[in-house]
Amino acid sequence: MEKFQGIFFTGYVTIAVKGRLPELFFQACMKEGIPAWNVKKTGTDTCQGNIKLEHISTIRKLRRQHEYRISFIRKQGYPFLWRRFLRRKEIVAAALLSVLLITFLSNIVWKVDINGVPLEIEAKVEKQLKGYGIHPGAWTFSLEPPSVIQQKLLHDVPELLWIGVKRRGTALEFQGVEKTIVQRQKVKGPRNLVAAKKGIIQKMYVSRGLPTKEVHDYVEAGDLLVSGEIGSLSLTEQPEDGEEKDKNQKPGKLVAAEGDIRARTWYETKVSVPLEAGYETLTGNQEKKYYVRVKDFYMPVWNLDNPDYKETQRENHETPIRFIKWDLPLKFVATTLSEKEPYFKKRTREEAVAFGIEQARQELQLQLGPEAEIQGEKILHESIENGKVELTLYLTAEENIVKEVPIE
Amino acid sequence: MKKLHQRMRTWMTRYLALPSDVLLELPRITMIGQIHAYIENHKGLAVYSDTELRLKANKGYIQIKGSSFVLKTMLPEEILLEGTIEEVKYISDD
Repeated sequence: MEKFQGIFFTGYVTIAVKGRLPELFFQACMKEGIPAWNVKKTGTDTCQGNIKLEHISTIRKLRRQHEYRISFIRKQGYPFLWRRFLRRKEIVAAALLSVLLITFLSNIVWKVDINGVPLEIEAKVEKQLKGYGIHPGAWTFSLEPPSVIQQKLLHDVPELLWIGVKRRGTALEFQGVEKTIVQRQKVKGPRNLVAAKKGIIQKMYVSRGLPTKEVHDYVEAGDLLVSGEIGSLSLTEQPEDGEEKDKNQKPGKLVAAEGDIRARTWYETKVSVPLEAGYETLTGNQEKKYYVRVKDFYMPVWNLDNPDYKETQRENHETPIRFIKWDLPLKFVATTLSEKEPYFKKRTREEAVAFGIEQARQELQLQLGPEAEIQGEKILHESIENGKVELTLYLTAEENIVKEVPIE
Repeated sequence: MKKLHQRMRTWMTRYLALPSDVLLELPRITMIGQIHAYIENHKGLAVYSDTELRLKANKGYIQIKGSSFVLKTMLPEEILLEGTIEEVKYISDD
């Protein structure tokens, strides 16, 4: 019976043979190697049996050699069903349309879920998301990748410590963690203030503790600035400075020293500035094009003509087209073409030096933080090598040099 | 010559214990009760009707009689007959 396995898929027909001794037709079939099954004699001169679809052409040839009348009674199996299905145009159209519709619906955001944060933050996040174009009913092609959404949200909603963005089918899930403002842990016990780096003290404001240095004093890194030991204990150690203010303190009292000490500090940096610089800027003109991508083939969908920019910056944003829960091998590609303008600039030596100084200042400021103030700079060395101006600069800054050290 | 050949085969079946249906080209009939008959190694169909099936064998015919016969499968050299089988008979040519 193995020979007739899967017969439904290849298709078969029931034929009726009419003539004298009709069973001999099946005998002829057998000789040709055509298998038949369910052969029945329905009358003295009629006989019917099943035959595979693939053998029909041979049957037709055989018919010519014999004097039988052969009629096809029933056609069965998948190929016939399929043909019958294709004949009904409206059903085929409906099936195609429904597939299209499902594809269409699979690419829409149906739900935006925000979890893990209190209501007011949830509302804020939701509002921000609306601003990005993320709401139920939005087209998923227009969405940015989750990582970008996450970055944007973290930037725009300061109350969020972290937010996880996950796409689950047609739903977007946001898992947020609220920022709880925790008081910065301070060294609680008694402590001293020491210098973090060397410098000359410019301003001193000590709110607690015993200052051991004065304005215009030069300090090295690690030098004691404000002592947490008030009274006789420290008196023996620092006989000059501490005495004036706190003479009437009880001996041996330890406090957490607090204060703000700004000192002038120095930095030596090296900068090199090329005399010729080339860079590109975007002019702001841009156009969007849309494609549907199949592997390496891009089929333009919208905006067919290329803009006449001299130089363009291309930026592709791809979104897979989904069907229910699977990604189809199709991708929707939005391309942004921006006009680029190259710039070439030649600097004179003076300009290059000025640029180098400015750059060094900015870098140092970034390094020291916004509280520091850069007061001035000196050029220690200046030379031109390989079309570059090499500068060695000496920068002076004023900054807080306090470092807290607990007293054991 | 043909006789010698034939005798060789008979000898081989007897002494080498090889299946006789293969060597001697004889039909092999397997029956399941009254309802099925499975005939292999036949040489062609001679008569078939609701009540009778006659197959050629290498010498003569095999006649199967009964009622409501249906040929469940018809492959070159094998036939599965379904129905109510009443008798199986060999009819020799000569």
